[in-house]
Amino acid sequence: MKQFFVLTAVLALSGLAPSVALAQHGMPGGTPMTFFVTSEPIGDGGNLGGLAGADAHCQSLAATVGAGNRTWRAYLSTQARPGQPAVNARDRIGTGPWYNFDGVMIARDLAHLHGDTLELARLGNNLTKQSGLTERGQIVPGLNDYQEAVRDGDWEFVKTTPYSNRHEMLTGSQLDGRAYPPGLDYTCDSWTSNRDPAPGQAQGALEAGPNRPNAQIGFPDRNGGGNGSWNSSHGTTGCSQTALVRTHGIGMFYCFAIN
Amino acid sequence: MNKIIPWILIGPLVAFTASDTAFAQGGDNMPTSERIPSSLMTFFVTSEPIGDGGNLGGLAGADAHCEALAAAVGAGDKTWRAYLSTQARPGQPAVNARDRIGAGPWQHSKARLQDYLGRRLYRPIIQSQIHGDTLEEAQRGSNLTREFALTEHGELVNGIGDPLPTRHDILTGSQTDGRAFTDAADHTCNNWTSNGEGSAQVGHSDRVGNGNISWNSSHATTGCSQKDLVSWGGVGLFYCFAVD
Repeated sequence: MKQFFVLTAVLALSGLAPSVALAQHGMPGGTPMTFFVTSEPIGDGGNLGGLAGADAHCQSLAATVGAGNRTWRAYLSTQARPGQPAVNARDRIGTGPWYNFDGVMIARDLAHLHGDTLELARLGNNLTKQSGLTERGQIVPGLNDYQEAVRDGDWEFVKTTPYSNRHEMLTGSQLDGRAYPPGLDYTCDSWTSNRDPAPGQAQGALEAGPNRPNAQIGFPDRNGGGNGSWNSSHGTTGCSQTALVRTHGIGMFYCFAIN
Repeated sequence: MNKIIPWILIGPLVAFTASDTAFAQGGDNMPTSERIPSSLMTFFVTSEPIGDGGNLGGLAGADAHCEALAAAVGAGDKTWRAYLSTQARPGQPAVNARDRIGAGPWQHSKARLQDYLGRRLYRPIIQSQIHGDTLEEAQRGSNLTREFALTEHGELVNGIGDPLPTRHDILTGSQTDGRAFTDAADHTCNNWTSNGEGSAQVGHSDRVGNGNISWNSSHATTGCSQKDLVSWGGVGLFYCFAVD
């Protein structure tokens, strides 16, 4: 029933798309798109080619739908390394407000996006399953949308089943949108690693640990991990493409326009 | 029968299973016969409203509605409380919804005994998490999602994007921290006795609407009649919690 809903939603949106999709984004007469979820992953697990590679992916997806005139940034942090300071996702994405494909506002500003005060955090921003759209206006399938228990964590299956659950977004960030301190890996080695934990090391721990390749993820549909954090819900079982798939991600991430 | 394993034992086991995967499988397509033992259910959204707008017969009337709905699915052996605040009146202190519902954690109506023993339950909802008592808890959020906020029958409540009519406005009369409003304006349909004048604060069971994702304090209604509630995307449903 729910998978039917998502499909119809996607179809309805794509039905709507031709009139607007190839022109400027956003609803007719509405606000241009400055936020999207990547419709496709890069496909090499946590190896995104660093921040530069991830930004380029945002830029090229935006360009395919006529939004390449803006400067796009992936919402990703990297941790400090010797001679290399940390990069905070929240410091990369401009000041907002940001609008999705439909011209719906995701957040007014950085404080609203991250819930910088208690009241802002309790209310939350406006990123939901309905608003967390890809650059093509698609809803990102989440929990219970389409799951075959047997092949649920199988990349070959997920790759060819675009309506299967894939709601985990790479962020490498803490709840406040900042990088984790150096030490344990939360960013698949600054988005250059597709490695998995060595045999015998805490498999499937879903959190950082010594010598554990790991990425912190969040949910655009606010539904998973027992919390619903959009940017910092839990870790992954590793950094390979198949490891990401095991917990219902495929290596997608958020893109924000800074202008 | 209803307290086979105390929560103190099972709670941490559930809470520390990090993956959403374990909670998803077998989740939604289970036959009705496999649902519940409903004695595991300690939280639900009323499947039906009382039907007289914001007049619930006060807190007592709302609690009785929770009790009756719970009893109809075999969960009447618990003490049920409606998640509703009332505002202070002369000679009558305010009542905070969060103080009425016990300590939790709470589990929804799809918790099955076999999952319970196999530790594959949905994560429960926790008092401090649903109210975001610390900044970190507020930022992270709780497991009170559209899929968790089921009726006592284990059914989803129609939200944004679902078939109409939308029923996701849930009466609370509360601020985001679960406490009563302290200003002079009406936020509780005159302490849940008005079906005309006044206003009620509502949350969204699907966590969608009005530019935020608050489950308990998203916006106000512009009246207290049944028709007023419907015009905002609600029918007068509310949350019920078991205190024991």
